[in-house]
Amino acid sequence: MARIPTAELSRYLLSGQLTRRGCLHLRRYSITSPIPQSRRSFSTSPTTPPSPEPAVVVPFRKQLKDQAKAAKLSGHASKKKIKKTDNQTVPGWDLTVGIEIHAQLNTPSKLFSPASTPSSGKDVIPPNTCVAPFDLAIPGSQPLFQPTTLIPAIRAALALNCQIQPISRFDRKHYFHWDQPSGYQITQYYHPFARSGSVTLYPRDGIAVEDGGKVEVGIKQVQMEQDTAKTLAQPNSTHYLDFNRVGVPLVEIITEACINRPATAAAFVRKVQILLRSVDACTSGLEQGGLRADVNVSVKKMGTKELGTRTEIKNLSSFKAVEDAIIAERDRQIRVLEAGGKIEGETRGWSLGATETRRLRGKEGEVDYRYMPDPDLGPVVIGEDLVQRLGGTMGALPDEEVEVLIIKYGLSERDAMALMLMEGRLEYFYGVLEELERMLGVEAVEGGEQRHAILVSNWCLHELGKLAEAENVIVGEGAVEEVDVTSQVPEQDLAAILFYLHQKKVTAKAAKDLLWDVFRGTISTGGVTEQIESQDLWYKEISEAEYIVIADEVIKGQEKVLQDFFKFKHGKSKAYPQGKLGFLVGKMMRAGPEQGKGMDPASAERVMRARIEEVYIPRLEGRE
Amino acid sequence: MLSRPGPRSPWLRNVRLTPQHRLLNHFITHPAEPIPPPAAPASSSPNPKPFTLAVKDNIATTSPNLPTTCASGILSRSYTSPIEATIIGQLRARGAVITGKTNLDEFGMGSHSIYSHYGPVTQDNPPETSAGGSSGGSAVAVANGEVELALGTDTGGSVRLPAAYTGIIGYKPSYGMISRYGVIPYANSLDTVGFLSRQIDPIKELIVGERGLWKEHDRNDPTSLTEAVRKRCAAQRKGYRSQQGQTTELKGLKFGIPLEYNIAELDLTIRDAWAAAAKRLQDVGARVVPVSLPTTKHALAAYYVIAPAEASSNLAKYDGIRYGVRDTDAPSDAAAGGVLYASTRGEGFGEEVKRRILLGSYTLSSEAMDNYFIKAQRVRRLVRRDFNRVFALDDPLQERVTFELSDLPEEVEMEDKWGPEEVDFLLCPTAPTLAPKLKEVMEKQPVDAYMNDVFTVPASLAGLPAISIPMKVTREGAAGLQLIGQYWDDARLLDVAGAVATELRT
Repeated sequence: MARIPTAELSRYLLSGQLTRRGCLHLRRYSITSPIPQSRRSFSTSPTTPPSPEPAVVVPFRKQLKDQAKAAKLSGHASKKKIKKTDNQTVPGWDLTVGIEIHAQLNTPSKLFSPASTPSSGKDVIPPNTCVAPFDLAIPGSQPLFQPTTLIPAIRAALALNCQIQPISRFDRKHYFHWDQPSGYQITQYYHPFARSGSVTLYPRDGIAVEDGGKVEVGIKQVQMEQDTAKTLAQPNSTHYLDFNRVGVPLVEIITEACINRPATAAAFVRKVQILLRSVDACTSGLEQGGLRADVNVSVKKMGTKELGTRTEIKNLSSFKAVEDAIIAERDRQIRVLEAGGKIEGETRGWSLGATETRRLRGKEGEVDYRYMPDPDLGPVVIGEDLVQRLGGTMGALPDEEVEVLIIKYGLSERDAMALMLMEGRLEYFYGVLEELERMLGVEAVEGGEQRHAILVSNWCLHELGKLAEAENVIVGEGAVEEVDVTSQVPEQDLAAILFYLHQKKVTAKAAKDLLWDVFRGTISTGGVTEQIESQDLWYKEISEAEYIVIADEVIKGQEKVLQDFFKFKHGKSKAYPQGKLGFLVGKMMRAGPEQGKGMDPASAERVMRARIEEVYIPRLEGRE
Repeated sequence: MLSRPGPRSPWLRNVRLTPQHRLLNHFITHPAEPIPPPAAPASSSPNPKPFTLAVKDNIATTSPNLPTTCASGILSRSYTSPIEATIIGQLRARGAVITGKTNLDEFGMGSHSIYSHYGPVTQDNPPETSAGGSSGGSAVAVANGEVELALGTDTGGSVRLPAAYTGIIGYKPSYGMISRYGVIPYANSLDTVGFLSRQIDPIKELIVGERGLWKEHDRNDPTSLTEAVRKRCAAQRKGYRSQQGQTTELKGLKFGIPLEYNIAELDLTIRDAWAAAAKRLQDVGARVVPVSLPTTKHALAAYYVIAPAEASSNLAKYDGIRYGVRDTDAPSDAAAGGVLYASTRGEGFGEEVKRRILLGSYTLSSEAMDNYFIKAQRVRRLVRRDFNRVFALDDPLQERVTFELSDLPEEVEMEDKWGPEEVDFLLCPTAPTLAPKLKEVMEKQPVDAYMNDVFTVPASLAGLPAISIPMKVTREGAAGLQLIGQYWDDARLLDVAGAVATELRT
């Protein structure tokens, strides 16, 4: 792990400033809100000017001590911390949650200019290079709607079961912030392009147990809008602006206020991410910044009809944050109401790891957006034929896909969901599986041959996961972006490794080593077989006689253990001493040549069991 | 082949200023050397005949000698546009020699060209008189004979009013015909590029001549009509195919006199001149009939809701960060109780612009939106419906609608049982008064000036072509007679305006 210079470390610890160099710049999309105020109050110190009073210098050690003290004081709460699964409801109170999700659309051009989007290529794009005059609000420039942006937008809306509106319009939403060059964001306030959708959530999506077998979340509307510029904070109250992201198309998905449990809210956001990804509509997920969520929370006494006053929590950047922030805000509102207080309609913030939401601004600080139809832009007319065509070419939606994975390929629900959630992993899984099935000449069928498919899934998730983990440790823990392991392990190579493993031509250990070699590039693509040859990794099982020799060797001096088998044989204990057998087999594997090379644990167990039954127990019986 | 203009170049002689003209303050930027048109490729047809052009300073030009200021302190001469307005490219390709950028009301907001960061414009015929606005500088440049043609912009009469006050021709085309790309918006849904000249023929040549601008769609302007729609509209109109000379006879044409335009504020001199003009047309065989445009009295109010609303939005981009002037002395943060550029905007904009931004911000605010902006948009539809009802030609952009005869005022005579007579053009004054003295204007309440737009605003709200031609009055000073045509009837409007102008001159 790289050493951080002391100066930088103290800047971070004492004034909360982060350097933008190094791994942090990897984050293509820093979390920003379309609402300027929130961000200004969010940011730690760079935006606030130095306070007029001379700052009291508190020694660092004292700061740490004070923090520890404070933590201890509030300690009791955290000690009694309720498990989240048991904290989905509060007796006597109803919770109501509505969610707004912003997702960056996967398009080559911006919404209203032909400039390319910074995420359209693989390379890192230098700041302020993907910019047309309109993106900078050059006087006299005009918006030019790019019809191709409709394709991912309509797909997203269809994946959310929405009605595509034949006519939609663009409106200007006004507010001043330096990341919004024209002084307004073009969005679809009065006439969104999609309405009345729904997303069905099942227990496997992670909904709260209290919600039963399924929950249907209504989508009020989906609208297209522009993204803002990226602000890069520099030391000394300086901000750099990168306008590459200005005008990149987003969809905003607005749900009905119909979610009643925190876990279900998080499950909804996760499901939306899976849905958008499955139709290739958005650039990246919540954790990578391509998605962000705001939640509206209100509580009311059980049995009352009218909804309570709602507060909005902006800019939640992880699934965990969605659930935690809702729980915290619900509890805060209940506390206020039980103490006889009133809930103010306000905007609140949440930071990772917090236990309380923070007030950002109240209603009096609310901006009047002065929505106005954009006079330069005509209505967007979406033909039924386009909707039909996009609907017909979308392929299987996630729920069908998960069913296929579970039923046809025999994957566990958990693994199936994991494949769906990780970017590009499902396609990779299918790629490897297809290659392996071709080599084996078999095909997975429901209720039939599925062992090889499960093998592929295990390796795609767990073994590749280990590579990623190890790599992250090497890169440094701060790495935000997960190492893309699949690109370093060609499908055909993993398929070749799994082919030999499945056929028992190599051991699991050898297979894992081969995977590392492929990952590190020591084996060139297509060179797995060659590597096995040259390193002599073929699994050659030792003979039965050799197993017996090793078994006999191991059992010497294990009279006590043998007694257990003897007792079982003679009905003095009920269960077969499987653990003891495993212990002996383990010893065998270790005692064998070169750490069990050429030995199959299953064969070892078979031989050991036979030797105990046929030789050693009779010996003990003979003694009696 | 055009080379750099030498001292004997014909157009250069035109731009030499006589000493008294320097006091008129009608140019913001007036380079010593005019900007010649680009040389045409050698293989193509011979270079077009050059002509001198003055450009209103809210139309973007890229030459380093021609900054674009909008007469605003927030841009000022430090701003040179990175984009060139489409109309500039089109005119330069047709031989325009740009002599300079003319003064205006800041961002086009005003009726007397007095709200300029660079000081007010005056005309000296009669002396110390308002040149009208907002394209006052362009009008004075043409009236003085310094240029053959000037570009203005017309949002609610900003080309027609100065043309009337200075006694020249001012033409506002149908909305969507001339590209607005690079024309710095005041109110996008109303803004049009306008043309000022002492003769109609040069304008007519540009619009419907061999290389007629009416044909050219601009893909950079989303409100520019597509080629297919242009052709469809033109097919329903006369004058786009016969490009030579006078083609329309005044005899047999029907002119409508809008009853509602005979307002209390109408100067008697103007009223008499208007009546005389109508009489003249009748004498040469045209029919002049009274028509009713019932929404007229609400049109001005609707205009002063819609235009400031759009302006407040359009002007939000001027923050001094990416271009223009920035007040770097002021504290630059929310801690000061404002935003980063509150001070920049406070310093940079003039009083009239600030007044309209505030007005627009209010009418768009959530509590006022329904009562002002939405209602104004409804009025706008009614204005358009009024026009469609009186014109014999149909609106090519809308389905034909039938009208309730019971909605009409009693004075309107019926032609037959189907309704009143339908007309080819409307005939009315351009402004209710003669050009006032500048001193008078400065002393008046700012809102009083809004009254001057009462006759020009309806055509802007409906997007119709309109032209102001000089009208003889009995007192000293100039007045304008306005002709309004149905949508895309520009070719015939220019043709007929030429004939009427000739008739009125004799």
